[in-house]
Amino acid sequence: MNANLTSAPLAPGALLDTQVYLETPEGIDLPLRPAGLPVRFLAFAIDALIRSVILILTGIAWLYMGKLGAGLASISTFLLLWWYMVFFEVLNQGRSPGKQLLGLQVIHSDGTPVGWPASLTRNLLRFVDLLPFAYCLGILSMINSSRFQRLGDLAAGTLVVYQAQAPQRGALPEVPARPASVLLTLDEQRALLDFAERHQQLSSQRQEELATIIAPTLHIAPSQAVPGVHAIARSILGQV
Amino acid sequence: MHLSKAQAVLRPRNTWEAMDLGILLARRHAGLLMGTWALVTLPLFALLSLLLWQHPTAVALIIWWLKPAFERLPLHILSRALFADTPGVVESLKAFPKLLKPQLLASLTWRRLSLTRSFNMPVQQLEGLAGSARQQRMLTLGKQYTSAPTWLTVIGLHIEMALWIGMLALLYLLIPAQLQTDWSWQKLLESTQHDWLWAEHLSNTLYVLALVIWEPIYVACGFTLYLNRRTELEAWDVELVFRNLARRLQRGAVVLLVLGCVLLPIAEPVWAQPIAAYPSEHNADELGPTDPRLLKQMLNSEQAQQSISQLLEQPPFNNHKVIQNWRFGEPSEAQPQKEPSFKLPTWLKRLLEGASFIVQILLWSGFILISAYLLWRYREWLRTFSQKLLPNRQRQRAPLQTLFGLEVSSDSLAKDWLAQAEKLWTSDPRGALSLLYRGLLNHLLDKHGLPLTDAHTEGEVLVMARHLAQPLQLYSTQLTVHWQNLAWGHRLPAHAQFIALCEQWQQLQSQENADD
Repeated sequence: MNANLTSAPLAPGALLDTQVYLETPEGIDLPLRPAGLPVRFLAFAIDALIRSVILILTGIAWLYMGKLGAGLASISTFLLLWWYMVFFEVLNQGRSPGKQLLGLQVIHSDGTPVGWPASLTRNLLRFVDLLPFAYCLGILSMINSSRFQRLGDLAAGTLVVYQAQAPQRGALPEVPARPASVLLTLDEQRALLDFAERHQQLSSQRQEELATIIAPTLHIAPSQAVPGVHAIARSILGQV
Repeated sequence: MHLSKAQAVLRPRNTWEAMDLGILLARRHAGLLMGTWALVTLPLFALLSLLLWQHPTAVALIIWWLKPAFERLPLHILSRALFADTPGVVESLKAFPKLLKPQLLASLTWRRLSLTRSFNMPVQQLEGLAGSARQQRMLTLGKQYTSAPTWLTVIGLHIEMALWIGMLALLYLLIPAQLQTDWSWQKLLESTQHDWLWAEHLSNTLYVLALVIWEPIYVACGFTLYLNRRTELEAWDVELVFRNLARRLQRGAVVLLVLGCVLLPIAEPVWAQPIAAYPSEHNADELGPTDPRLLKQMLNSEQAQQSISQLLEQPPFNNHKVIQNWRFGEPSEAQPQKEPSFKLPTWLKRLLEGASFIVQILLWSGFILISAYLLWRYREWLRTFSQKLLPNRQRQRAPLQTLFGLEVSSDSLAKDWLAQAEKLWTSDPRGALSLLYRGLLNHLLDKHGLPLTDAHTEGEVLVMARHLAQPLQLYSTQLTVHWQNLAWGHRLPAHAQFIALCEQWQQLQSQENADD
């Protein structure tokens, strides 16, 4: 959660991270979290399932309509195969139903919402990605790309990312706030806050362990390490 | 294990993202992972194929069954690579036999079919736990965390299949078209069962090759899931920052101590040093305006600054001109010094201030008066324009009083105007006809709500009445023609015509009343 906001310039050989930063001309780092193969595989499976169910239902509906039925069936097949993804992506904020279910979204690789040309390109090029069978090229391309793009994505300049969610702040433990005796950088303040917000997930021994790392340098009595750090966290948030 | 050496950004991620990190990790060490995997599995596969030449299915099954044993090697490599201690190929291969020993039987028998294998393996191999301790640990870690590794296994199975069949399909596509006439898929499937052992061995080989690609990724994804779980439970990210903070402040304290010893007798402000004195690590939050920024753009801030200053030197911004003229010898410098010597007396100063206040009041009241006068002077004009600005609904038109000089409001007409007109005909035919016409206009306005305005002409009124009922339209046309002839041409209609008009009007009225 804290790294959502920190900017880490990524040089080659830097720390691995699933989050990439888009530097805007104004010098602001926008964090994007490209979605990898497993989750996209599942999203595609859900979409395929939905499409095949629709296809079967419409097929049944048009079974007894003779030549007209055959025509309608081929039209609906065409729409479902080639336009299902495009319509949903462009008209539903880059989310086909499968992607929406898993919290994914297609965007341009510069972070802007996906439009008709890009969506059409990336979906028409599924033809290439699914060669020679069952999306083999797509899988290999996604494994081999640092931003998990398949060939269609590379050609259209699109990314599939996890939708940004508003960070949910946990409640801080109830202790009287006390400002820190030294100046803390932004990262350190965030770490202190994280420590306090996650107090319910961490075991008490582990909390003790973590708090004693910084207790002496922050002039906190060792016996009061955990509540002391919590107190500083509260003061960072401006609570009393 | 030193967290500060971790080669990945540690933070609690959602499970899918944790798997993505695994893919990135496997990608960074792809050569090593795939190479060692191939070096272990391919020779074994070749040997098995030779030994069991008659039973190709058994070979594939054995390779598949032994996967947990092979997977220990990539896991070992990954666990060291994560903390910047990547082993070489030879080193890893040497370590492999030792890795195989613990709990091999369990891995290959009752734990073989576990769907969360990738996630459980690190617990057993990296933490070295066995028996009830392992069970306990699995319970702690695996609580609410079984679905992600299960999905990983299910998805992995499909990807393996996709890659395998994909390679088969590729081979099939590469067969020349001439041969293909004999080889239909069906025939291939039938023949592989009996005669074409080599074809089945070929398919086995492709499966093993698919494993070379996918298995390291599968192991890496499981490993990062495990890492993510521990990061969540043990707050590794927090620990990392805390340790850096402690180190930073200790260093700061040492600097303070040294400075204190040296400078204590001289200066007090040194006490302010601890915050400023520690070497500020490069932090994007602390960049000043002149520090280099935007380093990943086509144009970074330094280049931009340079070209900006160059541009500012050039003509449109910076015009160097030499202007020469005569001036008096520096009077401007002498004056301000003189001023203080000449001081206004207090009474004069007050007087001037009072006068200026009065002038101000006069000016302001003049301004207010003039604006009030202008507002009053142009009130009509303002009203018109403010009406235009208002939305249509609010601009309710007042009932029209006159049309081309004729009074047409209901108030101006007597109730029995028809009778009046008939009476008037003998004495004042013009007045009588005008009464008839006014009556018609009033009728059109009130009953039929025609949107007439003062600006319309008689002809336009007729055009607007075109959509009304046929008899009324006819009547209006006739009356208008007679009225125009009389008003503009001074040609009186015949008496009979006038009577006819009156009668027609009465008929119209009775008709309309009946319709209502």
